[in-house]
Amino acid sequence: MPAPMSLDAAAVSFESLFSAVFNTAYGVALRLSRNQADAEDLVQDAAFLAHRAFASFTPGTNFRAWFLKILTNCFYSKRRQEKSRPVTSDLDDTPDLYLYARSGQAGFPVQGPDPAAQLLEALGTERVVQAINRLPDEYRVVSTLFFMEDLSYEEIARVLECPVGTVRSRLHRGRKMLQKALWQIAQEDGIVGAPLAGVQV
Amino acid sequence: MSRRLNRHTCEEVFRRLDDYLDRRLSADEARKVEEHLHICDACTREFTFEASVLDGVKHKLRHLAAPPDLLTRILAQLSPPKNGGQGA
Repeated sequence: MPAPMSLDAAAVSFESLFSAVFNTAYGVALRLSRNQADAEDLVQDAAFLAHRAFASFTPGTNFRAWFLKILTNCFYSKRRQEKSRPVTSDLDDTPDLYLYARSGQAGFPVQGPDPAAQLLEALGTERVVQAINRLPDEYRVVSTLFFMEDLSYEEIARVLECPVGTVRSRLHRGRKMLQKALWQIAQEDGIVGAPLAGVQV
Repeated sequence: MSRRLNRHTCEEVFRRLDDYLDRRLSADEARKVEEHLHICDACTREFTFEASVLDGVKHKLRHLAAPPDLLTRILAQLSPPKNGGQGA
């Protein structure tokens, strides 16, 4: 009875493959949707779609990338259904080496034993997560896949169905935005000096 | 003359900062960057700072735990119940 056997085998295979990437998928979903309830919905919706489309998955290829593609498509689809939101951000046009330069200007040590680690430690995990959350969607998606999952540029390009050059440029800009967001939060928390009134940061 | 040459090298190296940290340079290009870092304290400080930010953010973002029952709930919804309950 080959047909029922193959259906059972497919179900078992999907279950095991999905279970193996589940934590990754949830972590990415949480960073994309910014809250736990929406992240759970996103993983659940993506799992349902992936399960339904599992016949199109080629065994032996990268299930993680395949699933994350479905998950990010699902995320973008949900976003399109929401009301339009502003696409501009005060994180735009952040210069290179922003955190390094601002740290130096503010008197936060940029030399000595790992000053960047000291700053991140002072901020704490939750505030670093919030800095990622402040990035506009297109930069947050690429940064999440890169920072959280260590996907290569090529894998991210496959997940997002875009050229590798686009991944590279979004990641470069996303990093700069993230540094500015980290600095803003460090100011809000009083870890570094607050900006002077009227001074562009 | 040597100051101009060194400055140009700093700019060239700086343009490769992200690619170097992401290990996307060829062995030859990476070696050239490292040769410059050996002789340039300013670039070394910048590269070290950037690398530390990158590592620190990665480290902090990777410690996220999924709700313990979420996987079970999703798998249960994907699997049709045995014997389907058609006879009720």
